[in-house]
Amino acid sequence: MGIHRITFTVNGEYEQVDVPSNMTLLQALRDKLALTGTKNGCSAGECGACTVIMNGEPINSCMILAVECEGADILTIEGLAKDGKLDPIQETIINRGGVQCGFCTPGILMSSRALLDRNADPSDEEIREALVGNLCRCTGYLRIIDAVKDAAQRERENA
Amino acid sequence: MSINPHPELPVFEYVHPVSLEEASQFLANHAGEARPLCGGTDIFVRMRDGHWNDKYLVDIKALDGTQEIKFDPQNGLFIGSAVNMNRVIRDPNVISHYPLVAEAARTVASYQLRTRATIVGNICNASPAGDTIGACIVLNGRLKVHGTDGFRWVPLAGFFTGPGKTSLKPGDIVTGIELPLPPKSAAGKYIKLGRNQLSDLSIVGVTVLGYPDESLVSGYRFKIALASVAPVPLVSLKAETRLGEGPINPAVLEEAAQLAESEATPIDDVRGSARYRKSMVRNLTYKALWMVWEKIGHLVN
Amino acid sequence: MAVNRVAVEKIPHPIGDSVQRIDAREKVTGAAIYADDFQFGPGLLYARILRSPIPHGIIKRVDVSRARALPGVKAIVTGEDFPGYIGLYLQDRFIFCRDRVRYVGDPIAGVAAISEEIAEKAISLIDYELEPLPGVFEPDFGASPDAPLIHPDLGKYEVMNFIFPEPGTNISNHFRIRKGDVDTAWKDCAAVVEREFRIPHIQHVPIETHVAVAKADEKGKVTLWGSSQSPFAQRNLIAKALGISQSDVDVIAPYVGGGFGCKAGVSMEALAVAIATKVKGRPVKLRLTREEEFYTAFVRQGLVARFKMGCDKDGKLLVMENKFYWSGGAYTEYGVNITRASGYSSTGPYNVPNVKTDSFCVYTNHPVGGPMRGFGMPEMHSGLEQCIDELAEKVSVDPVEFRKMNCIKTGDTIVTGMTMHPTGLSECITKAAEAIDWGKKNPASAPNKRRGKGIAIMWKAPAMPPNAGSSAWVEMNEDGTLTVAVGGQELGQGTFTVMAQMAAAAMGVPYDWVRIATPVNTDYSPYEWQTVASRLTWSMGNAVVNAALDARHQVLEMVAKSWNENLEDLDIIEGQVISYKSEESISLKNIVVYGIAKPNDQGWIGGPIVGRGNFMPSYVTGLDPETGQGPRAVVHYTTGAQAVEVEVDMDTGKVEIIQGVAAFDVGKAINPEMVKAQMEGGFVQGVSTALFEEMKLKQGILTNPSFVDYRIATSSDAPKKIDAIIVEYPQDDGPWGARGIGEHALVPTIPAIANAIYDAIGLRPGNPPYLSEKIYLLMQEAGLVS
Repeated sequence: MGIHRITFTVNGEYEQVDVPSNMTLLQALRDKLALTGTKNGCSAGECGACTVIMNGEPINSCMILAVECEGADILTIEGLAKDGKLDPIQETIINRGGVQCGFCTPGILMSSRALLDRNADPSDEEIREALVGNLCRCTGYLRIIDAVKDAAQRERENA
Repeated sequence: MSINPHPELPVFEYVHPVSLEEASQFLANHAGEARPLCGGTDIFVRMRDGHWNDKYLVDIKALDGTQEIKFDPQNGLFIGSAVNMNRVIRDPNVISHYPLVAEAARTVASYQLRTRATIVGNICNASPAGDTIGACIVLNGRLKVHGTDGFRWVPLAGFFTGPGKTSLKPGDIVTGIELPLPPKSAAGKYIKLGRNQLSDLSIVGVTVLGYPDESLVSGYRFKIALASVAPVPLVSLKAETRLGEGPINPAVLEEAAQLAESEATPIDDVRGSARYRKSMVRNLTYKALWMVWEKIGHLVN
Repeated sequence: MAVNRVAVEKIPHPIGDSVQRIDAREKVTGAAIYADDFQFGPGLLYARILRSPIPHGIIKRVDVSRARALPGVKAIVTGEDFPGYIGLYLQDRFIFCRDRVRYVGDPIAGVAAISEEIAEKAISLIDYELEPLPGVFEPDFGASPDAPLIHPDLGKYEVMNFIFPEPGTNISNHFRIRKGDVDTAWKDCAAVVEREFRIPHIQHVPIETHVAVAKADEKGKVTLWGSSQSPFAQRNLIAKALGISQSDVDVIAPYVGGGFGCKAGVSMEALAVAIATKVKGRPVKLRLTREEEFYTAFVRQGLVARFKMGCDKDGKLLVMENKFYWSGGAYTEYGVNITRASGYSSTGPYNVPNVKTDSFCVYTNHPVGGPMRGFGMPEMHSGLEQCIDELAEKVSVDPVEFRKMNCIKTGDTIVTGMTMHPTGLSECITKAAEAIDWGKKNPASAPNKRRGKGIAIMWKAPAMPPNAGSSAWVEMNEDGTLTVAVGGQELGQGTFTVMAQMAAAAMGVPYDWVRIATPVNTDYSPYEWQTVASRLTWSMGNAVVNAALDARHQVLEMVAKSWNENLEDLDIIEGQVISYKSEESISLKNIVVYGIAKPNDQGWIGGPIVGRGNFMPSYVTGLDPETGQGPRAVVHYTTGAQAVEVEVDMDTGKVEIIQGVAAFDVGKAINPEMVKAQMEGGFVQGVSTALFEEMKLKQGILTNPSFVDYRIATSSDAPKKIDAIIVEYPQDDGPWGARGIGEHALVPTIPAIANAIYDAIGLRPGNPPYLSEKIYLLMQEAGLVS
């Protein structure tokens, strides 16, 4: 199996990695770049724990080959806070108590960040729809939904 | 048959041709061991599960025409095969002229998966459960296919030959789907029954399109496509015929729904039983017909 | 060491404050480390397991020679290499199968190789032959004389003295309750309900699957990194199985990405350790795929439950007769205690004078049953609470009133003869009914829908050996901060946060001066039995409080000596030692490490402060093996109620949860928002188990081993509103009166929903899950829909 050299931007940094054809972006992030914040929950596109933002849109990184990411701009959980300052959605999810075991949290935050980037005032239904691909077994979702609403409000107020 | 505890992507080569000719030639030369790759949402799942074992995945996302979504009143809407479902859902022309396609696409999986999933991929995967296939069928979609002898158009009628099987030949790459302008005053509805409120594969899916048509006695034509109740996406011809025969009222809608139920041939599987699916075909077809009728029923006297 | 118990009446901050989680920032930035995140470098080997494809069979032959010859393979092991039994309550398992396979997934061999690809290839090169045996797939059949024996050597297994196997059968535990006179009580009943329920196996579905990395060094010392609820239990069980000392096994356990019981005890960790012992000096990683997670670690036992209960014309419960056949799976080393715990709580939270219960743990050729949130209580209450509703209806008593009349109250004699401690169950019922607006039917949202409300109540005690202990120490640092060391694990429930709150309160420092020493490492951390049973807030909390008070006492003694004052006049407030008498004060900084200088350079007082504490209940008694009676069966019960409003779609049978209410008596909510978060999360997990979840086992093979067809609740399935109500009747020996909540939040949800469905459509849905198909076909059979 051939090895491909790919170059892409991850959290604002230019990276270059050598990957086999069948390596997923999730594996490349975790095993080649030691960015272990993105989690592996199923490797089948069902649980959303591996969600990252690629070229502005959220994807399941277990469902894309690393070789398909040549030239892409990727944001992972490690890049969400800027210079130590938490993103509003990171702050509101803490305040609302929407974090328990924390394993789904990186994926939830990336999906939520992407939602707020495309919809500054999402309704309850829109938030549920946007997060339906992020499974959580601990929180029961309501505090997460409230946190997204809080973050949206905060961002509208500061805009 | 026991469980595979370790499904994983097998060894394969990722190939990135620069032209349609090169791509079709490569696929034809490696018939049976190469496959076009678009969003991968079906391919990766099938490969992990060991159903597909292709040696080559041929990425077609950068090939001519696959990334465009364009509309003109003459030819209608063209959705390139690499256009992801989220792009389709928010496209202004889709929203204005083909809301049924957006409605159906919105029910697929999750937002993250729709960043990768494509309408054409949904069609080519040819699962009877495909959510957007019904909309494309009732809207008379045709596929633009590039093969070793160049381009051709393939209507969706007759395209599906069995579960997961289509009439495509080695070397064929679908570059997009064209949906003609819908008939005047058409209204549509897609109802999907899954286990969860959202997400999930369909236990039963019902697509209905209705529009005034003076060539029929009833004054209206209905198109009905059913998901997950037959080996292929099923068009309910008996129900469609009944709805053209005479004046339409709730009793006639109920009759049509029962005809749809009789035409469906679902099986028992892990998602639901045949018996339940039959009842759901009837109930949800009635509901979808009723919702469409509410929108168009006043148009013809 | 005897230290003063902090009085319940005087509640210091931050007890009762909803402080921010101590682990929140790490988790939202992706910095929190879980077991699969540790970096081991290029020496890491990858393990793969060869698993039985059949549910029951004799191993005729295993030939690893072809696999061993594959370049890159560093070790291959089979059951031949590990003769020791392993098990928590009953030792009925080998690490790798030796003579038999007993479930689809049973480990036959293990491989460690330099890459996952090579390990996978090696597995495919192992030649083996199995002779299939007939399987047992239903526990009531398994308990019958016609069933083939799954464990012919049951009589030889080591077992704890409160578990009663029946050798020569598939029954690995039989727990009995014989109380009062059941046979004659039936004639006094005005109404009797008799029902059978078949509750399916489900799985915990933690979002993080099991991961274990093991390394054995030249001396034979083993290090195990893993996603684990039970570092010390794993150390103990693995050491015993390998025949080595506990101190030669070091378990390192970081944050757990969800446990719910599946990461308690020992399951796949033993496989990684066993393989590692053959590759001295190199770490070996075993990570379960999601598919393996569904059927090869622990699952929740299935249950066939036969209830028969009767009451008088006023609705007073007189008698219950219960038979439980637990489908324990292939090995019941842990599951035997579920049989016992459900037996000694088999009346549910009710006062019933005459009780006969037989609770059987039965081997089946199914995946291994183990602890899952509720430990038998959700399975049991699923049927029991539906029967209660039916019985109430037969005597025309409202379901809420029926429960208020019969629920267990302070001072009642419960099913085992124990006296019930103070409990707020009645208040939980009243508050839950009030919050759901019981008695008022809301209009349905559409003509084709029906609304209904249901209620269910519960109880559960921590199920554990009578001597399950906790310990803790509190070290003080130069800057005045505390480092609290514990052996319990943060699974998301918030234990590190409440421990920090308790240490801060007991010492007299602000909450953010407290750190928890993580990860738990059995070489350095103090002993904790397991993070299960909803026991940590109460048990480990006591240990932490004792340790903090011990440290506090040392500080005050030191300062008292230095100031020549009495201990009673001194206090620590916000990190300052103060005297009420002389109004002197001194910061904790520095003195807690360096001590206090005597005047005129005449020496030093004190030294580095390290406080220690432990807690182990002393009062749990045995139970008579024939009657299940004894003075004190358990430490305490947490009780509670849930009420639910549902809407049923008559066209599809789909059940939607409109709103949920949960009210639990937690004694004292150390962190109220976190307690509510447990109630909400448990409720939604309960909704998921009620509406969707079922392991679809056909002849022992799991036909839905992935998220595609094992559905759990998504964001779209959570109700609009969940009211979480805290009731507080203090527990006499809990820290500030606290007792647990973690499991209880999941227990009554299935029957609450079942009872609400009955209210909506007049049909009882019986066995979960209440899929839309099940409800629709139920309505069709009854002629409600066509």
